[in-house]
Amino acid sequence: MAGCKPKTAPVTPVGNYTGKVVVDPINRIEGHLRIEVEVENGRVKNAWSSSQLFRGLEIILKGRDPRDAKHFTQRACGVCTHVHALASTRMVENAVGVDKRIPALGVAMRNLLLGAQFLHDHIVHFYHLHALDWVDVVNALSANPKKAADFVNSAGLGHRKHTEAELKAVQDRLKKFVDGGQLGIFANAYFLKPHAAYKLGPELNLVATAHYLEALKLQILPSRMMAIIGGKNPHTQALYEGGITSYDAITKDKFKLFKDLYKQTMDFVLNTYVPDVLAVAPHYLDWGGIGGTTNFLSCGEFPSNEGDLNSRYLPAGAIYKRDIANPKPFDPNKIAEHVKFSWYEAGAPLHPFKGETKPKYVEAKDMSKYSWMKAPRYDGGAFEVGPLAQTLVAFAKGHKETVGLVSMVLKHLGVGPEALFSTLGRTAARCIQTVVIGKEMQAWMDNVDKMLAKGDDTLLAKWDMPDTGQGVGFVDAPRGVLSHWINIKGKKIENIQLVVPSTWNLGPRDDKGVLGPVEEALVGTPVFDPKRPVEVLRTVHSYDPCIACGVHIIDPKTNEVYKFKVC
Amino acid sequence: MSEQAKTILVLGVGNILMHDEGLGVRAVEHLAENYEFSPNVELMDGGAGGLRLADELTSHDCVVVVDAVMNGGQPGDLYRLEGDDLKLSLTFKQSMHETDLLETMACCEIIGHRPNCVVLGMEPLNIEGWSLELTEPCAAALPGLIVRVLDEIRALGGEVRPKAPVPA
Repeated sequence: MAGCKPKTAPVTPVGNYTGKVVVDPINRIEGHLRIEVEVENGRVKNAWSSSQLFRGLEIILKGRDPRDAKHFTQRACGVCTHVHALASTRMVENAVGVDKRIPALGVAMRNLLLGAQFLHDHIVHFYHLHALDWVDVVNALSANPKKAADFVNSAGLGHRKHTEAELKAVQDRLKKFVDGGQLGIFANAYFLKPHAAYKLGPELNLVATAHYLEALKLQILPSRMMAIIGGKNPHTQALYEGGITSYDAITKDKFKLFKDLYKQTMDFVLNTYVPDVLAVAPHYLDWGGIGGTTNFLSCGEFPSNEGDLNSRYLPAGAIYKRDIANPKPFDPNKIAEHVKFSWYEAGAPLHPFKGETKPKYVEAKDMSKYSWMKAPRYDGGAFEVGPLAQTLVAFAKGHKETVGLVSMVLKHLGVGPEALFSTLGRTAARCIQTVVIGKEMQAWMDNVDKMLAKGDDTLLAKWDMPDTGQGVGFVDAPRGVLSHWINIKGKKIENIQLVVPSTWNLGPRDDKGVLGPVEEALVGTPVFDPKRPVEVLRTVHSYDPCIACGVHIIDPKTNEVYKFKVC
Repeated sequence: MSEQAKTILVLGVGNILMHDEGLGVRAVEHLAENYEFSPNVELMDGGAGGLRLADELTSHDCVVVVDAVMNGGQPGDLYRLEGDDLKLSLTFKQSMHETDLLETMACCEIIGHRPNCVVLGMEPLNIEGWSLELTEPCAAALPGLIVRVLDEIRALGGEVRPKAPVPA
């Protein structure tokens, strides 16, 4: 339909600004992240990603029972709670040697729980944390609802059918928000005044806004799926070293409920999320050449055997210098954390088993020290982690379902695989990963049904705590490679280190001065209006940053008008 | 309890790893250990969860949120925030957390059911250091906060009674 497909190749405007731009804090993320960029003639020339909060969780874990670790680590943050619990559980299982003996039913239920987390996280990320960088909600007010419905129904992208009345109702609700000054969730968005970097026509803006609102409601379903298996959500309680304690979830009624919720969620993924990505991407095709990095790392996910990284459905691997013809195996011994530019006591790069957490803050205006994050490196290089890295590794290794979906998206956009190394590629990869995992969940559910039908209902293996031990738990979480590392001494935690996805992606420079992935990705980004640098946010948000601080306070100080009653 | 009794969610939020940040969760734990409630009352440890709380929030008539509230008072000072004030604050909020509780409440409204919400809060002393313990002034003020939460539950139509002591 006219107006819904770009007539000419989209070009994001470049301004003529030269100087610094600081975004502090980056909004629509969990935690306090500051991004500083140096702009020259409208393009980013240099970038610094800085975490402003110290995350010293390791310190309070020393001396505790290793089984307590999962309950602490998943409280570090309100977003990725379960993946930390899983990484800590796997870490202890690896250290005590039960990892190869987790019952098949337990493995399948754990995979379904993590799968539900992926469905939830990726839907929420695309619609609620990232879409406002691409979709101009206010512009949707000038859309013609009939034209918008016609577009959805005739575009052939797989959307479910829409009616004019349905889209008109969304527009009316939106008008009420805007007229009433109750922008709520849209407050602070860069499109409140027109911005030249927003490229969608009003009809597509309306469709995307309608789906934004629909997704708000839909996201409850995968969240409930997590609660069924995890016992509660947030902060799941079902994991235990040796398996999982989801006895209630494997009862007939509860498992049926899980399957019903799954079906509704996947309907949305396939008939709304995927078509929306395909509809929006052509308008931002130039972002297939912006925001790329060089190296990619995945630890694989969804094992059939918890003690074997090679048994994971999504493969582990490393891609060097964008060479997708030669994926390399993933070797945990090649991980080291650098602290030269971080607020820690100076020292050589350390493998996480030898890792130290000795904070030392100094104010450094010359940016010689600028972040509470360490800089994790793999084989001495900066590696991006997350959906794009996992998808590239799977694509490079010939993972059938991934190859099929990547090829479909590239064909639809009329671009080659080189476009994957970009902000657009990262956002498309998250959608592809959602479909790949979502579809495979059906196989795990069938497998659970088969085992239960045979009377196999063992979820947990027994084990004994050794006096000493060493172990690591890897999770390729929705945000990428997460690893927890433990040394056990006297049956207690002697040392624990967390290397989290957002540190891989958002960490500072390393000992050689090499930029972290997000810093690298930002170089070359156009900035049209230095006061509203939505282009910087597009790339930063495409990583789904979450820097795990968990501070959660209602702060009326920030609101001059606000008054409340004191008891 | 009548059939039409309003359902009440008592939601403690915060991070229990950071001193007084977790006082809301601690209050709910205390309630669960020491009191029994009528079936229309549900207690929940909401942790630091944002959007994931939408399911619980939209499925209750009333929500009593217990949380740390920074209002420039003395540590341990108690506050009560009501629906319209909270709603107003959403428009002007510049929080560093865009997916926090207030935002989630706004989302609930869009989803179609925003529960009647009251926040009972306490001024924290320390919300930055890592510790499972409340600071002294907040620990001392916790019983007072508990009394107010119980009053609130009763006012909303919930029934409360102390648990019988466990025989030695």
